[in-house]
Amino acid sequence: MSYRDQLTRMTRIEVVITGDDVAAVRELLRSAGVPGFTMVSGVAGLGHGGFHQGSLLFNEHDSQSMLIAVTPDEEAEQLVAGLRELLKERSGVMFVSDTYVSRPEYFGASRSSGAADSAG
Amino acid sequence: MSMVLRAEIALAAKVLPIARPLADFVAVNPLSGFESLPFGEAVARASALYGCSGYLRPEQYRALYTEGRITDADLRAALHRLWPQLDDTQRERALGSLVDATPLTMPPAMRRALTPVERYDQTHGTELTGTVNDHVVRWCSVFADQGQASWTLPGRHRGLYGAWHHLVVHDRAVPADVRTRLAAAPATAADAVQGAIDTLGAAAGSHRALFEAELTALPGWAAHLRWRSNTIGDVDLIDYLALRLTYEMAVLPEGAAARLGAPPANPPSEADDQLAVWQEAFEQHYRAELLALLRSDGTGTSDTAPPTPAPTPMRPAAQVVCCIDVRSEGLRRHLEALGPYETLGFAGFFAVAIWWRSLAGGDPLGNCPALINPRHAVGETITDGSLAAFQLAAQGQAALDDALHLTKDTPGTAFVLAEAAGWLTGPAAAARTIAPRRWRAWRQRTVDAATPRAHTHVDLSRFALGDRVVTARTALSMMGLTTNFARLVVMCGHTSETAANPYEAGLRCGACGGHGGGPNARVLAAVLNDPEVRAALAADGLVLPDDTVVIAAEHDTTTDEVTILDPHLVPTTHHEDLRQLGADLDAAGAALAAERCATLPGSPGVTLGSESGSAPATANAADARAGCTPELARADAQRRSSDWGEAFPEWGLAANAAMIVGPRSMTEGVDLGRRVFLHSYVAHADPGASGLETILTAPVVVAQWINCQYYFSTTDPHVFGAGTKTVHNPVGTVGVFAGRGGDLRMGLPIQSVAAGSTMVHEPLRLLVVVQAPRRAVNDIVERNPSLRALLVGHWITLVTRDDERDDWHEWTAHRIDQETTT
Repeated sequence: MSYRDQLTRMTRIEVVITGDDVAAVRELLRSAGVPGFTMVSGVAGLGHGGFHQGSLLFNEHDSQSMLIAVTPDEEAEQLVAGLRELLKERSGVMFVSDTYVSRPEYFGASRSSGAADSAG
Repeated sequence: MSMVLRAEIALAAKVLPIARPLADFVAVNPLSGFESLPFGEAVARASALYGCSGYLRPEQYRALYTEGRITDADLRAALHRLWPQLDDTQRERALGSLVDATPLTMPPAMRRALTPVERYDQTHGTELTGTVNDHVVRWCSVFADQGQASWTLPGRHRGLYGAWHHLVVHDRAVPADVRTRLAAAPATAADAVQGAIDTLGAAAGSHRALFEAELTALPGWAAHLRWRSNTIGDVDLIDYLALRLTYEMAVLPEGAAARLGAPPANPPSEADDQLAVWQEAFEQHYRAELLALLRSDGTGTSDTAPPTPAPTPMRPAAQVVCCIDVRSEGLRRHLEALGPYETLGFAGFFAVAIWWRSLAGGDPLGNCPALINPRHAVGETITDGSLAAFQLAAQGQAALDDALHLTKDTPGTAFVLAEAAGWLTGPAAAARTIAPRRWRAWRQRTVDAATPRAHTHVDLSRFALGDRVVTARTALSMMGLTTNFARLVVMCGHTSETAANPYEAGLRCGACGGHGGGPNARVLAAVLNDPEVRAALAADGLVLPDDTVVIAAEHDTTTDEVTILDPHLVPTTHHEDLRQLGADLDAAGAALAAERCATLPGSPGVTLGSESGSAPATANAADARAGCTPELARADAQRRSSDWGEAFPEWGLAANAAMIVGPRSMTEGVDLGRRVFLHSYVAHADPGASGLETILTAPVVVAQWINCQYYFSTTDPHVFGAGTKTVHNPVGTVGVFAGRGGDLRMGLPIQSVAAGSTMVHEPLRLLVVVQAPRRAVNDIVERNPSLRALLVGHWITLVTRDDERDDWHEWTAHRIDQETTT
C-alpha cells in the first residue's frame, strides 16, 4: 500500500507573473472558489524573453511573484482556462500538475474526490 | 460566468489608468496599460478608445518651428530616427512635406470603441448614452461613499451590483417600464454580464471590445473602482459592468440590442506619423541643448589620457540631500551659490517605505512610492514630559472637529449652527478672502497657542536593526555619499501647503505617495544617527565621523520655505552650524521664490505667452524676474499658499523633461530651469551596480510616470487632464467632478499645465541621462523587460557615458555601444 493511498489527489497550479498581474490572478482564484494560495515574491528566471530579474528593491509592479494554489481536479479545468486566457497576453508561465494532500477540505474539496479516488 | 470571461475583463481593465483617491494622488502614466506597445501605437490605440490626442496640435508644432524651437536639423534627425530606411533625397522630400504640408488644423480625435447605447444613439439620433451615464454615476457616487455621508447605502454589503439590483426598482428617477425590465434582471453580477452578452449575441471574439468600450465610457469611475477592487476590495469591476450592461439593455427598445449585434472586435487605430516626427524633433532640440549644457561645464573632454586623480575634496559646510523632484534643482542651485554646500538628489522617501503615524493622530499614512507597499510601521513619540498635555489638546481638537461635522451633517442642527456661528464665520471667511496671508499667520498663531509645541522624536522600536542597517547602507551607496561626510548632513524632504485645493497631494512628494516627505527624512536621519547602525556600517567600512549629525528638513515648494525638523535633537556643538545653514536655506528659498514668481500668473512683473502659446514654467527671463524681488516673491508665495481662491499656487512639476543620474559635478553651476530630475550616483560607491539597477527600475519609472502624466494632461487637457479646476467639485475623497456630475476627472487640471491659452508644460518624453559604466547599464536593461519595453517603445530615451571623459551614447534596441549621439 502506497503512502499516497492515504492522501487525496488534487491539482496544483503554479503561476509566475509580474506584480502588476497579481491582483488579476488572485481575483481568478477567488472567483474559482480557491480558498487560499501561497505566494513567493521576487522570483527570477530565464525564459524565452531572456532573463527576468525577479526582485527589485523599490518596484513591486515589475518584480515577479509565484502563486501556488491547489484545487480539486473538477474545479481546475475552468480555472486553468481563465489563467491561460490571461497569459495569452501577459508575461508569465503556468505549471499544472497532480499533487497529493492530507487535508483536502483545506483546499476547497467538498465532494468525495478523496482517497478512494486515488486509491482507485 | 466562465473563468475565461473573467480573465477577459481583467485584460480589458488594463486599458484603464491607475487612479488613486485625492489624498494619495500621485502622477501616473494614464497610458500605462499600453506601455508594452511603441509610443505611437499606444497613442493611436488610446485615441480609438478614449478619443484623446497624444500629440500637440499641428499649429503648435508649426509655431515652435517658426520660433526656432524646432529646426530643420531637428526634423532631419527625427526623420532619421523614425524612418532610418529613407535615403538623403527621400528625407529632404519628407522634410519639405512636413514643413509645407502639415495641415494647420486637424479634426478632434473621436472615440471609436462604442458601447451598445452609443452605437444606437449614432444611428437613431437618440440620447440614451447620457441617460445611462447619469444613472451609473449616481449609483457609483452613492456606493463610493466612505463614511462622509450621514446615511449609508442600504444593502451596501451586497456589493455594487447587488445593492443596485435590490434598490433600483424603487428609483423613481428611472421610468416605470425600465424599472419593470430591471426587476427581471439576474440577481448576480456574473449572470447579468453573461445575460447581456447573450442578448447582444456577442461572439467570443468580441467580448474584449465590448468590455473595453464599457470601461472607457466613464473611465474615471471605472479606474477608481478598479483601484478599489485591488485595495479596499469592496467592489469588483464585474459589478460595474453588470450594472452598466443591465441598464443599457433595459433602456434600449425591445429587440434593439439583438439587432445591434456584437461590437467590432478591434476598433481601427491609425498612428499619426507626421505629428510623431514633429514631436521627435521637438525632443531632439531639447536633448541637444541639455547635453550641450552638460558639456559646456567642461566635463566632456573625451580624450584618451588617464584621468587626473581628484584632489582630496574639502569638507563641505553641510551636505543637503533633496528629493529628485525637479523643484529641488532650484533650491540646490541657489543654496550652492551661497556657500561651500554639497547637495545631492535621492528619491524623496529616502529608502524608507513606511506607515507613518503622527503623534497628532489620524490614520497612518503610506509614505512610499506607488510602486511599492509600506514595509515598516513607524511613529513618533515625545521626548520631554509634555505628552499628556499634547494628547489632551489633540483630543480636544479632534472632538471639536467631530462635533462640528456632526452638527453640519444633521439637518436640524445645521440651521442652528448657521444661526449660532454665522456671525463669526462670515467675517472670518471675508478676512480669509481679502487678506489670506494675514489669515494664515493668525491661524498659525492660534493653533500654536491651542496646542503645546511637542518635542518629539521618531520611534524606531518596530524597525528592526538589520533592516535599519540595510536601509542606511542602501541609501548612502545609491546616492554616492560614502566618504567626506560634513558635520551636518540634511535629509530634506518636500511638501506643499495650499488652500481649498483637491490636488494638493499632487504638489506633495510623489515618492511619498502624495504626502509630505518630512516623516521619511526624519526616519532616515534617526536611522543614520543610531549608534548601533553606525557601528554596523563602520564594520563594513562605511564610517560616519562622530561629529557628523544627520538632521531632517522639509521644503514647502509653494512658499519655498525650508523648515528644520526636530531641531531640539541637534547637539549644542552643532547649533552654530545649524544657525548658518538655516539662514542660507532661508536665503536660497527666497531666491528660488523670486525665480518662480516670474513664471506665475498674477505675480509682479509677469507676462506669459509667445507665438506658440508656449512658455515653460522654467522661464528664467531676467526681465520678468526684475519686478519680483525676494521679499515680494516670498510674500506672494505665502499668499498663494493660503489663498483659497488661488488657481495657480505653484507649477508643481510642470516643464519636467529629463532625468540625470550621476554625480553633481555633471550639473553643478548649470541652471537646468527646474526641468530635470536629479538623482545622485557615483559608480565607485556602487561596485555591484545594484544601486544603479534600483535607480533605473524605480526612480526612473516614477519620473516617467510623472512625465507622462504632465505630457497627456497637456496634449489633451479634457480626456487625460482634469479640465479647468474652477468648476471642480470633490466627490467625497475619491476624486472630482467638473460641475455637478459626470465622470471622475483624470489627470491634472489645466491650471497645472497652462495659463489661459499659454502652454506652460511643454510635453517632452523623458530623457534619461546616466553617467555610469555602459556595460552595467546594458546588463540592467537586458534583465529588466519592463525597462527595456519603455526604451524600445520610445517612452523614454536613454543616453549614457562611462565618465566625464566619454562621449554620450544613446541606447537603441541594438544596445548602447553601437550608436553615438552628439
